[in-house]
Amino acid sequence: MNLHSLTKTQLLAIARAADIPGRSRMTKAELIEAIEHTADAKRTGGTRQEPPPGPAARREALAARLDSFINHNKTCNWRSVEGHPCGLPAVIDQDRCALHGGVDIADVAIPAAGRLGFDTWPSLLRHIWLASYDIDPIGLDPAIAEMFWHVANYLYYEYFRVEVEGIENIPLGGPALLTANHGGAALPYDAVMLTLSIMNEMPIPRRARVTGTEIFNATPTVSHFYRKIGGVYASRADTAYLLERGHLVGVFPEGVHAFQKPFSQAYQVQRFGRGGFVTMAERHGAPIIPVAIVGSDEVHPALFSSQILARLARMLWPAQRVDEVAVYLNLIPLPIRWRIRFLEPIAPSHVGTDPDPLEMLERTESIRMLIQANLTDMLQRRGSAI
Amino acid sequence: MQRILVTGAATWTGGQLIRRLERDPEIEVLAVDEFEPRVEFDSELFDFELDNPDFAHFILDAQPDAVAHLQTADRSALLGGRRAHDEAVVGAQALFGAVHRSDCIKQVIVKSDICVYGMGPRNPSVLFEDADLDGTRGRYAKDLKALEDYIATAARARPDTTFTVLRFAPIFGAEVNNPLSRYLRLPLVPTRLGYDPRMQLISETDVVRAIDHALINPLSGAFNVAAPGHLYLSRILRLGHRIAQPLPRRAYDVAVKGMSRSSLYMPTHVKRLVHHGLVTDTHRMRDVLGFEPHRNLRQTILAGYGLLPDRSASA
Repeated sequence: MNLHSLTKTQLLAIARAADIPGRSRMTKAELIEAIEHTADAKRTGGTRQEPPPGPAARREALAARLDSFINHNKTCNWRSVEGHPCGLPAVIDQDRCALHGGVDIADVAIPAAGRLGFDTWPSLLRHIWLASYDIDPIGLDPAIAEMFWHVANYLYYEYFRVEVEGIENIPLGGPALLTANHGGAALPYDAVMLTLSIMNEMPIPRRARVTGTEIFNATPTVSHFYRKIGGVYASRADTAYLLERGHLVGVFPEGVHAFQKPFSQAYQVQRFGRGGFVTMAERHGAPIIPVAIVGSDEVHPALFSSQILARLARMLWPAQRVDEVAVYLNLIPLPIRWRIRFLEPIAPSHVGTDPDPLEMLERTESIRMLIQANLTDMLQRRGSAI
Repeated sequence: MQRILVTGAATWTGGQLIRRLERDPEIEVLAVDEFEPRVEFDSELFDFELDNPDFAHFILDAQPDAVAHLQTADRSALLGGRRAHDEAVVGAQALFGAVHRSDCIKQVIVKSDICVYGMGPRNPSVLFEDADLDGTRGRYAKDLKALEDYIATAARARPDTTFTVLRFAPIFGAEVNNPLSRYLRLPLVPTRLGYDPRMQLISETDVVRAIDHALINPLSGAFNVAAPGHLYLSRILRLGHRIAQPLPRRAYDVAVKGMSRSSLYMPTHVKRLVHHGLVTDTHRMRDVLGFEPHRNLRQTILAGYGLLPDRSASA
């Protein structure tokens, strides 16, 4: 990660996470030096294997990190046209809270009250009721996304016990395209776990905007809910929009094929669409970060997939375009142990231009093979799935 | 002396624009419309239906320097669908035919609507000015698409004339009486169950200001014009103290059809807007055109519901 390209606020956040003494009085150069120093110390002294911390400890670490972004001594200066005060604390170095412009809601997820918890819900619901804050143009609603983050974290920490490797491969600022293997689950748990892992483990809780097909747009309730929690419609226009503005975009290039494979093919990465994600990354100069996710394929083991059922479904619901549906063993997800590994970023080779078609095909395939190799490795190391 | 021809002078927007232009003694306004004006003004009103063959000759004889084509609002409730369609398309043909032949028209401003992008599940989430226009759904969007096609043709034929297309977000305000504003002001608003569209709006006063701004700063091209901010329909209704009643598709259709017999008339583009929503990018408006709306989205909504306190009501 290149520390020199970050703003001082971002550096302060890292310094706070690393607990560097005297950080508030440091200049930018001193901060960079101190952060590099602690990183070196960690690398040389980090040979002993510590047992992974339990969910309670991980939650505490997250709470401390999130709290460090909030200035509890200052209240947001927002006031509605009708005269309602905001009442939430301001983001550090800002006059506004996280809902009213203290942060770029499209990129950074900072809880409005500085922590996740049911006790913060009344104030969030009040602001939803007052319609006091703006949504992102694509539809992200920071208050609903925060409540979803809080609830889904139970799944993340206690149920799926997600462990993350290589979080330092995600840039602290600027665009990146996360390319992950898709799991055969009835619900896209892997998309949720991917976004949560980034918000929960990164020094700055960045949002990864995961793409969903147009079936989402045409499905009642899902149509707005997936946008409110940070999803985007899987189209070139939307991906380009986000990458140009320096956001993280998560894609599952396998698409719907991953949902149709039987359990016997679990963790066999399917064809990566037509490789459109490579073109998008090249065109906008964004690095591709391959992501290997273990767990998603076992949450809902598929018994078989059927074309007849898909045709029946189309009679009831003409909007659906899938030609095969899988039938799952269980309704409630199995308590599988999840692993998410972020691999080294692949820098774009020629920024601003489209790669030639053959090179694009080769890069797509090499990324697929890389994810496949890592999945195999992670499955061997994991031990018991439960 | 500058001579400006304004079509759609009977509309609130047209009337307000003419009154604004009349303040300048150097400007002579030629107001054209077939109806009684909603806003009183001093300039002479020429009673023309735009599909009248004399209309084109009137333009050529009057020799205006600029044309503001504002008679593009959906008039199907007033005239009936087919008649409105004829007038919109033939009127646009006559207008741009005259622009083509005339040597004095230096500037053309057209009031369009962001619904020309079309609305549906396959739309990009944020629409830019260079997006493809979709005139496949609904008569009004089809007419606007035809209008914009004429503009493109005319702009190619006359490179020395500036053609400004202002694509306005749905207009909402205390003075506005369009299908969407009537829908939003219902005490109990039927919405589609399971859909919560993202929306942008623009206040009627900002529409007049934007057209005036474009007249002073001639710039060719299309511009999305919307108040800063985006909100879900459910939030807009909550700001207006309205109760949303989500209904499944069949019940919603019945409710809307029942209401269209009385006061509410929901053309296709409004129905699709409250189903799929539409959000556009307004950076070109701000950075290229240099126009900044007075009211943000929240103020526009509150003003439209008559809930804006007086201290911020100065527009």
